[in-house]
Amino acid sequence: MNFLHIQCSRYARLRCAFVLILLLITGCVSPAPADMGRDPEAADMTDDHAEEDPAHADRLSELAALNLAAGELLQVVASTNIIADVVAQVGGERIDLFTLIPVGADPHSFEPAPRDLLALNEAHAIFINGLGLEEQIESIIDSLEGAGVVVSVNTGVETTEFDGAQSYDEEEEHQEGIHDEDAHDAGDDKHSHGGADPHTWFSIHAVEQWVDQIEHILSALDPANADIYATNAAAYLVELEALAEELEAIVAELPAEKRKLVTDHDSFGYFAAVYGFEVVGAVVPSVSTLASPSAGELARLQDQIEEEGVAAIFVGTTVTPDIVQQLATDAGVRVVILFTGSLSAEHGPAASYVDFMRYNMTAIVNALKE
Amino acid sequence: MPWLELLTEPLAYAFMTRSLLAAAMVGIIGPLLGSYLILRGMTFLGEALSHIVLPGVVLAYLLGWPLAVGALAVGVLAAIGVNALSNRSQIREDTAIGVILAGSFALGIAMISTVRSYAVDLSHILFGNILGVSISDLWLTFGLSLLVMLTVALFYKEFLVLAFDPDLAVVLRLPESFLRYLLSILIAVTIVTSLQTVGVALVLAMLVTPAAVAQLLTRRLPTMMLVAVGIGIFSNVSGLYISYYMNVASGPAMVLVATAIFGLVFLAAPGRGILWQRRPGRTATLPDPAAKAE
Repeated sequence: MNFLHIQCSRYARLRCAFVLILLLITGCVSPAPADMGRDPEAADMTDDHAEEDPAHADRLSELAALNLAAGELLQVVASTNIIADVVAQVGGERIDLFTLIPVGADPHSFEPAPRDLLALNEAHAIFINGLGLEEQIESIIDSLEGAGVVVSVNTGVETTEFDGAQSYDEEEEHQEGIHDEDAHDAGDDKHSHGGADPHTWFSIHAVEQWVDQIEHILSALDPANADIYATNAAAYLVELEALAEELEAIVAELPAEKRKLVTDHDSFGYFAAVYGFEVVGAVVPSVSTLASPSAGELARLQDQIEEEGVAAIFVGTTVTPDIVQQLATDAGVRVVILFTGSLSAEHGPAASYVDFMRYNMTAIVNALKE
Repeated sequence: MPWLELLTEPLAYAFMTRSLLAAAMVGIIGPLLGSYLILRGMTFLGEALSHIVLPGVVLAYLLGWPLAVGALAVGVLAAIGVNALSNRSQIREDTAIGVILAGSFALGIAMISTVRSYAVDLSHILFGNILGVSISDLWLTFGLSLLVMLTVALFYKEFLVLAFDPDLAVVLRLPESFLRYLLSILIAVTIVTSLQTVGVALVLAMLVTPAAVAQLLTRRLPTMMLVAVGIGIFSNVSGLYISYYMNVASGPAMVLVATAIFGLVFLAAPGRGILWQRRPGRTATLPDPAAKAE
């Protein structure tokens, strides 16, 4: 009987899904205005070089204050729930926040449903990670009919290029290279085929820049509450500083020679750079979870794990390929589950960004300490 | 000796051994069933079934069953449905397949959207990766392959008649509709088995390509099946070695080898290849309409 009950509610949800799909189809058919008050080049704002783009700086300072009615909240959409948590810390009670990608979903493969499009179209501000993280969302955001401003929280954040597992050994080189447009254009192909690593939230420093960015946008759109946003942001920055110190203390327990990471996909580049880890390899050697490895790559990774004595493979909750489980069994190492692209559910161990970082660091140090 | 080492080196890795075994088994049953499939002109059923199973995968996930069980159940149901629809009414078989494919796939996507946070895991079976085959997957593949091979052995002649001349099957009083259902079900089983190992995009290549090559090279069904199975095993196994040595994702490597073989044979098959027919020295041996007219 219980089973039947589950079935019924499933069917109800299915019916709902069908109606929504019909909505989506009709939405697609109606012609999309080319650029409803939004610069088609708005994609620039998701670019990591945007800091140096004078046009971009103008656009941000041009952000006109909205005419919000008394008591009307700023409508804000955040793509990942990590961004949503940071936005919530700054916006507090003054914003109405909608999170696009649900808990546990993989931002690389998440595709929005019609209700998400409604929220996106009604939003005053849309915060995305950018840098290609939301692979299935960005084209939809580009074609929105709403007038909301789309902001990559990583605007101005220094990124590293992804270039296979070895890239993080050449950290400095990459960081210099990143702003060197000419070198890229000249076909510096060693660095050009990867693109920027989007997993910036593994650097607390980057998230501190997110906070400034978010405060700036919210204050520009809603100047009446600018003081509140500033106070919230300042308080959260203090919290992030404390977190940074706490993580340094945890990682100090792990001797440098044991700081070696094998992950499911290349998501720990920034983490490795900040805390002195070596990224030995990734099962899916791509910043995307949607790629697949060759047999040769997998064999070399197994060799490396055995040679370097790495004790564990770290996988995200959002990606669970059989390949990881099989590789770990063959190499005789543990699979440790981390939170990578998503926070945990509300009462889980990583329900906020601060808990997320603390949980991951503790899990990594504990797994590698033995 | 270096050749031998090239072949044995990957076997040092347990995952390569498992993958090679799975690849070989899929390389046997795919072309075996595929031979009937292309003789009967049913390749569209193969293509469709590989997508039709989606709602079964989702449902199995929701109920906590192994995903392959759901895929198998829906695949078999769809195979029966296609036959039932095209049997009793004026609907042609390809039309029935199209209707069921569209509805089933839409149902699967609608269901995924209700459990959207797990969409990745569910799509994973559709994009199965042969490098991630576990021991239990291997046993399942082995069991299902054995089932398929035994059934083909038992009903070999009946399927043969059905494939070449359905009307003769009626004359011979063979249980024609039972055999059609059985063949469709076997195809569904084969597809689900291959789905887990090579993924949805590549299943069709296992069924169609080796059998298509064999059709170009042989004239009798038994030899066609043998050649198809040989090509299936060869392209899957050598594809995995290529994936090992040349850093290409495994599934595509396997399919590309089969496709290359097809291309070569299509161009150069003795007597029937394009190049063969155009060679000036050979024209004399072929029936020449101009010569007859004289």
